[in-house]
Amino acid sequence: MINLKNIHVTFGRGTPLQKEALKGVDLTIEEGSFVTVIGSNGAGKSTLLGVLAGDVLPTEGQVTIGTADVTRKPTAARAGLVARVFQDPLTGSCGALSIEENLALAARRGERRGLAAALGLQRRALFRDRIAELNLGLENRMKDRMDLLSGGQRQAVSLVMATLAGSEVLLLDEHTAALDPGMAEFIMKLTQRVVSERKLTTLMVTHSMRQALDFGHRTIMLHGGEIVLDVSGDSRKDLQVEDLIAMFRKMRGETLDDDALLIG
Amino acid sequence: MLSQIAFWGAVELGLVFAFVAVGVLLAFRVLDFPDLTVDGSFPLGAAVTAVLITSGVNAWLAAAVAMLAGGGAGLVTAFLNVRFRILNLLASILTMIALFSVNLRVMGKPNVALINADTMLSPFFGLGLREVYVRPLFVGVLVILAVVFVWRFLESDAGLAMRATGANPRMARAQGVDTRWQIYLGLALSNALVALGGALFAQTNGFADVTSGVGTIVVGLAAVIIGETLFGARGILLALIGCVVGSILYRIAIQVALSTDVLGLKASDLNLVTAVLVAVALVLPRLRRGGATS
Repeated sequence: MINLKNIHVTFGRGTPLQKEALKGVDLTIEEGSFVTVIGSNGAGKSTLLGVLAGDVLPTEGQVTIGTADVTRKPTAARAGLVARVFQDPLTGSCGALSIEENLALAARRGERRGLAAALGLQRRALFRDRIAELNLGLENRMKDRMDLLSGGQRQAVSLVMATLAGSEVLLLDEHTAALDPGMAEFIMKLTQRVVSERKLTTLMVTHSMRQALDFGHRTIMLHGGEIVLDVSGDSRKDLQVEDLIAMFRKMRGETLDDDALLIG
Repeated sequence: MLSQIAFWGAVELGLVFAFVAVGVLLAFRVLDFPDLTVDGSFPLGAAVTAVLITSGVNAWLAAAVAMLAGGGAGLVTAFLNVRFRILNLLASILTMIALFSVNLRVMGKPNVALINADTMLSPFFGLGLREVYVRPLFVGVLVILAVVFVWRFLESDAGLAMRATGANPRMARAQGVDTRWQIYLGLALSNALVALGGALFAQTNGFADVTSGVGTIVVGLAAVIIGETLFGARGILLALIGCVVGSILYRIAIQVALSTDVLGLKASDLNLVTAVLVAVALVLPRLRRGGATS
């Protein structure tokens, strides 16, 4: 379970550029539920994700992941609780390391790392099996450097990496935004499968209204650093992409020039 | 072209500086930390060893203490960078400059001679093999041990964390790697190896000199780059072997350049020759790549 209590985040406090990115966000996510997050640029989506991941420490409020109060813990110290797939395929994995070395790194997320060889026979076999499940043929390229892979392939491997070690929450940061439509669909199907098979508590930030409604159990919309919409169950089933866009318009008090961007 | 003695002397010196090259590889390539501390930690290793040996301490113990001292120097640079966010290059320059004074304090004078003192090599002289061969052989065995150790470390879970820190710190943190701690650990290890090089330099050459550190970083980088030019980027072990081979080739090249009368070079031209060699080693891979594409 995840609990955000009265989270405030202010960047550049006391300077002319002071910006309140989150203004008292309260959010509870039950174990095993899959929440999608939408909002325009600057709404606070990335900050919210950062607060959960540890990249951003809140100015005020309390963050609980599982049973641990992680409010003041930096990213590395809470990595055992948080699995993550980044928007940029280059960020989530190490280009200079091989596929199997990246997996070895992820398999020990949040644990002590000792002097034992990172890639024993057993581990190699396990990694190979997990990569073979992707059906991308990557199991024959385990020793290839990660930067030889396409963006989509890297995201697929990143998803496997996110599930090698246990976690309390999986954070997906627009993880299909940098991919072509075909690959984006593949990654979303894979995400769906991984999340439901492993019953992962998941928070997915997305730019696509379609994705936000098609996946998961609950959708929240952020605007101006606040949660302005929180739907689940039947009321979410009835919600159409058009409704969300209408809400967006209302929020911004203007018409959007480019609906395509939002429907994606 | 080279006399036997000159050749084996070059090999020996190359092997001594292989420790520097491996240390530079750890800092520059693995951690992506341009660390100039080595210009200070190399003579620090030499100074500590020389002073301890002349005051009667066992040579092996003296080398071990030298490594600790070098590791400490690395920690200082890491501290300046991690704790106070001083730019990595600048942090290492500060430590390097400070070490010049520290080294003078350690020795109490600009140089200490080790003539007739018992060194790590002494027991191996007089076993029938000529001294010219004993020295490179002895240092070579130590180099192999160091290479195997660093290789196994970099392929362990802990080593992967260090490599990730250099290659993609954001990803490393997301995987639970405390990147600050990795910088401490990496620079300590790197400078401990460099100081061991300094300790061996003092013991094989019979003296420690406060100015012997000048240009250490360039020599180390030259070895790393020559190694990369020869072996390419094909895994950790080959990169390490490349360092050692690069370091030896560098010394032989210098020796040849200086002993060929045709070129009319003198010992004082060493720095110029070094700079030219490093420049050539840097340009070669680019020329080769250019030739392949255009």
